[in-house]
Formats: sequence, structure tokens, C-alpha cells
Amino acid sequence: MRETMTGTRTHGHARTGPSARLVAAVAAIAMLAAACGPASATAIAADGLERRADGWHGLPLERERQLPDVQLEDTDGEPFELASDLRGTPTLLFFGYSSCPDICPIHLAAIASAMDTAGVDFDELDVVFVSVDPERDTPEQIEDFLSNFSSQMIGLHGDLEVVEEALDQLDMGGPVVEGPDPRGDGDLIGHPAQVIGFDADGEAKRAWPFGARRSDWVSDLPKVVEEWS
Amino acid sequence: MNVAFWCSSNPGQIWTWRYTPFLGVWLVAATFIGGYVLAHRRAGRALDPRRLRLWCFGVLALFLVSEWPIGQLGVGYLATVGIARYIIYSFVAAPLLIAGLPDWLVDRWFPAGTRRERTLRAVTYWPVALLLFNAVLFGTHLPATIDGLKTTQLGSFGVDVLHLFAALVWWWPAMRRAPAEPNAIQEPLRAFYLFASSVLMFVPAAFLTFSPLPLYGLYELAPPLWLGFDTLQDQQAAGIVMNIGGGFVLWGIIASLFLRWAAEQQRADEETRQLRNARTLERIRALETDRDPTG
Repeated sequence: MRETMTGTRTHGHARTGPSARLVAAVAAIAMLAAACGPASATAIAADGLERRADGWHGLPLERERQLPDVQLEDTDGEPFELASDLRGTPTLLFFGYSSCPDICPIHLAAIASAMDTAGVDFDELDVVFVSVDPERDTPEQIEDFLSNFSSQMIGLHGDLEVVEEALDQLDMGGPVVEGPDPRGDGDLIGHPAQVIGFDADGEAKRAWPFGARRSDWVSDLPKVVEEWS
Repeated sequence: MNVAFWCSSNPGQIWTWRYTPFLGVWLVAATFIGGYVLAHRRAGRALDPRRLRLWCFGVLALFLVSEWPIGQLGVGYLATVGIARYIIYSFVAAPLLIAGLPDWLVDRWFPAGTRRERTLRAVTYWPVALLLFNAVLFGTHLPATIDGLKTTQLGSFGVDVLHLFAALVWWWPAMRRAPAEPNAIQEPLRAFYLFASSVLMFVPAAFLTFSPLPLYGLYELAPPLWLGFDTLQDQQAAGIVMNIGGGFVLWGIIASLFLRWAAEQQRADEETRQLRNARTLERIRALETDRDPTG
């Protein structure tokens, strides 16, 4: 499964009109301006996921997988068994960290907003965020981070070994320290960028990589609730 | 399909408040001012301080919204700033640049009888200019255009050039309106001309304001500047900026131009009336003189 996851014309007025040299100079300046001007901040194509033949936008998983059998802690300090505590309700599981500058907040904002638009309630779908940065992500930090999207999202944390074990059970790599954050806020951490969807029995069904847009979620979330409950 | 399965520093350019100069923008601004001064020198003409000031303010407006940070924010992070850039290009920079152009320089750049002058005349004929400006307005705010072009520096530059070009063409018949000017439009047609565009601008603004989903993937998937300001809020704010900038500010310009025209008309009427009164008075006096037997 890991492989699928990481995978001029001149005329009589020549003295008054722009010369060929001038035109060439303007063209050169334009090219240089184009090469030295601002552009989009994201390298990801902005057209979202394609609608697949089965009607879903999320990608189907090729190998069978279950919710990881690990114990973490929620933001109230209570133990949380991923495999058992999430059974009975479809789940969207995402590994990230609260200092993440791009993918984590974009994914979570998209899910929260799409749930609102699609009329999907947090009683019908669990959205779980597992921190891959136990050093910086205190329960308060996680709670504060998630409150930017929805306070009904479930924030979990645990020792790095436990988080790595959970990722390993899902055939996903990481986390990896990638070097200093240009904002001067500690280090950037590499981690899987996809959201994994589990049905009510805890079986992994689909993944939504980064690049999924709200329109993708609005299309898929009602199906998650209807078909996976 | 271009998506990411790994969150690293590669997929997005994280926003920081560290100054990043855009050399291309500096170069274009320098070319605009240098070219203006050079054109005066080559023609042996003295610089008119008032026109030079207008030209420089136009270039300054272009520069400020193209350089860091506004340029980068507008192109890659916030739709609100992206729309604000369009408003500044179209309704501030373009009219200032046209106001800064002396007639002799226009005649020099577009000599009478040349193909260039005929093209200018064809493009700035007001129905054509109105159509072109609005085609660019609608075309360059389509999600496919924004997401397809602004993701590259060349595409982004091309959209900016198109915005400035369309705005210059659009303002041309409304601003260069001396009776001898080809395609010059006078009141009340000019007020209608400007008003028509302001109304049409409400259409894309309404899409931005009322769409339940983000229209532009570019802004939706860009690293957020701060948490809590959602991309949909940004889009709604962009719609409001287009409404206010494109609508109400333009209406303000229309109202002031219309009031100025009304005052000119009133003054002209008053002068005509006074002239007629004076002539009538002269005729009466002449008649009285003819009737006076002692005269």
C-alpha cells in the first residue's frame, strides 16, 4: 500500500514609431518581468480531484487496512483507543501538527466547511486529528488549533513511538523533521498528506490526498455517511 | 492529476513577512518612467511637471500593487488582494497614465494615417472598448483562467498586462475627449459608458460574494496567512472589494464627471442667455434711437 500512498513591421514613420530594437528590448523586459514577478504560492494543481467512474473523488485503497490498534490521549487527558473508540461511526483520520503552515490547516478547513455545506453533522462522522509533533503539540495547543476549524473535531496525541506505530499499521511513513520553518517557528515536519476514510467497522476505504478541494468533499461526504455507516 | 501524498516544504510556498523583491516589477516601472523621459528628450520637448506627476503616480500605483508584498499576496494567497490589484490597475493606474500622456506624444506614437493609429481608433471606438474591457473582466476572473494562468509567473504577468491594456483602452474614449480626438465621447454618453461597466462588474462580484464554495483552487490551496480567516470569507471579501471598488468608486467618478458636465452646461447656457439679452437690449436701444425725433 505504501507505494500507492507515496507514489513589426516598419513603415515610413520609422523615426516616430518604435524601432525593431525597441520592440526587442520591450519583449526582453517583458520576459524578464514575467520571470521575476509574483506567482501562485501552491505548486499543486488547483483543479481538485477528478470525479471517478464510481462517482467518488477520494481515491480507493488497494489493500485492506484497519484503524490502527494503538492507544493515544485526547485533549482532556483521557486515553483513546483508536481501533475501538472510533467504531460505529465513519471516520476521517489525519496525521498532522498544529504548527503546520499549509496542508494541515487547508485540509481541516476544507473538511469543516464542506461538512457545513453538505449538511453532514459531527454526530454522523468523526474527524480525528493525530499530532505527529508531540514535543510542541500540547493538548491545549491542539485544542486551540482545532478550534479554528471546529471544536467538534477530535484531537489526539501520544508518544512519538505510538504515533509512528499507528502510521506503520497504515503503511504510511514519517514523521520526519525537515529543517527550520522559514517563519522562525521551530522545525517543519514532513508527514503523510492524505486524509484516510474508515467505515463504521474501522476498515480503511478511501484516501483524499492534498489537492482535494471543498467541492470534492461536498460531493463525497454524504456518500461517506450513507454508505459507510 | 497533481496532488500530494506527503506534507513537506515542497508543495506550498509558506508566507513570511521577509521582503522578497520582484526585479521584473522594478524593471517595468523603470522602463515606464525612463521611456517617458526619453521620449521627451528625443522629441526635444520639455517635461510638463503636471503630466509627469500624473504619469509617475500611475507607475507608482502599478508598482505598489505588483511588488512584494501586495503583488505576491494578490497572485498567490488572498483573492481579496487579487481583486484589489485589479481595481488599482483598472481604475487608478490606467487613468493616471492616460492623463499623463501629452497629445504630441500620442501623435508621435500613433502617427495619423498609419496602421497603428487605425488600430488604436478601431480598438478605442467606445462600443468596442466597452466590449473588450468587459470581456477581459469576465474572462480573467473565470476560475479556469485564474487557476490555469496565475500558477505560472508568465501566466500571471500576462493577466496583469491584459488588465492594464483593457483598462487603457476602456478609459481612452472617456478621457481623451477633446472634440478633435477620434472616438472621443461626450456627456451624457460618457456617463452611460462608465455606468454600463460598473453595472456589469456587479456580476462577477456577485459570484464571488454569494458562491457557497471557493471558486479558485489557487487561493483555496494556498498556505493560509493566518488561521481563522477562511478562504470562503476571503472570497466574499473579494466580492465586496469588487463591488465597492468597481461599483461605488466608479459611481463616484461618474457622479463627479456628470456634475462637472452639468455645471459646464449651466455656465454655457448662462453665457448664451446673457449674450441674447445683450443683443436684445442693443436692438431695443437701436429702435428707441430711430424713433426719437430729436435724435
